[in-house]
Amino acid sequence: MARGPAIVLLLGICGAAGAAADGAYLFNAAGCFACHTEEGGQPLAGGRRFETPYGVFYSPNISPDPDTGIGAWSRAEFVAALKHGIAPDGSAYFPVFPYPSYRLLSDADAAAIHDYLLTVEPHVQPNREHALSWWLGRWMMKPWQWWFLEQASPAPVDPQLRRGAYLVDALGHCGECHTPRKFAGVPDRSRYLGGTEDGPEGEAVPNITPHRDDGIGRWDADDLDYFLQTGALPDGDYTGSLMSEVIDNVTSKLTAADRKAVVAYLRSLPALARP
Amino acid sequence: MNRHLVALLACLAFGSAAVHAEEPEDYIKYRQAMMKAIGGHMGASTQIVRGKVSPAGHLAMHADALAELTQQLTQLFPEGSDFGETKAKVEIWENWAKFEEAANNAQRSTAAFAAAVAGGDADGIAAAHKDVGKTCKGCHEDFRQKDD
Repeated sequence: MARGPAIVLLLGICGAAGAAADGAYLFNAAGCFACHTEEGGQPLAGGRRFETPYGVFYSPNISPDPDTGIGAWSRAEFVAALKHGIAPDGSAYFPVFPYPSYRLLSDADAAAIHDYLLTVEPHVQPNREHALSWWLGRWMMKPWQWWFLEQASPAPVDPQLRRGAYLVDALGHCGECHTPRKFAGVPDRSRYLGGTEDGPEGEAVPNITPHRDDGIGRWDADDLDYFLQTGALPDGDYTGSLMSEVIDNVTSKLTAADRKAVVAYLRSLPALARP
Repeated sequence: MNRHLVALLACLAFGSAAVHAEEPEDYIKYRQAMMKAIGGHMGASTQIVRGKVSPAGHLAMHADALAELTQQLTQLFPEGSDFGETKAKVEIWENWAKFEEAANNAQRSTAAFAAAVAGGDADGIAAAHKDVGKTCKGCHEDFRQKDD
């Protein structure tokens, strides 16, 4: 009888669809889209330009084209790249790719993002060479990883805060922009999410710790939640710049429960005054 | 001749020029005040649309004011008001057609919001209000430098 295999097949399809849907959610929450898409370019085909103190980086193609994208990568290779900054050829990535945050992802979530990426439209677009400072090379990133990747702080015990920490610290990689960097581009953990004058594209990035004067301490939980949905600030102004992309691509796509978890976690952080 | 008289004559002679020689710095201050006015009405209507407060008749007042104020957006950015104490990006003037389009979007969205408020349907009002916010954010994303 054909019913048995049919049911198995059906379950298989539903399982795959479920995983891909979950993968899509995680992909949005991880904010992959904006950095890997050039303005006016093909989605996820890379090529977006990042000017940094270390030179100009161009994001790579992460669409599933087998030759110029990640279509030929195994799931394990993808997880190693996303979580540990190790390319399939064994070399180490520059931490402009936020694996120092993504290393906090679970293997299952990293794998789900991989599986989702294989379902999007492939685009043939070779990666552009970075234009780096003369002294900087990829080989240095192995020792960088060994020396600078610090032990992560323990996750909060409360389930909502734990979820918020996972969304903010790991998936959302908020600290990549909102935490100032020290020597060699290493985030200053003592000032986690404390803001910086010297963020991406040379612009200031606000302090999002709950300090009343210098951070978001005067915002109530509802204000923060509404901001993450819409980009509206409590005074009626609307955010622009890079955060506007984050609202559109990441935070507005979170579930209400996840948004609340983000807000609860941010409000639980140590309040940091401007240095 | 008395110095004041000279000044007066000069003013009369160059009368129209003197009156219209607006300083870019002043225009920037005016622009910022206008933007605060828009933000004020937007912030106030957000409080009402989200059901935090419900002062009778106020939402229509804010919606109408937004529709009027956003009509003036492109006028707030004359040539030459791109440096000094401003967060306006030079892209505004380098890419005026795109900026004008963004301003038109804002006008369309505020007109739709005012119409929705006049219509009275709560869901329609909420959706139209969100659309206004999107046009604010969209334009700030492309044309305003980040806060410091």
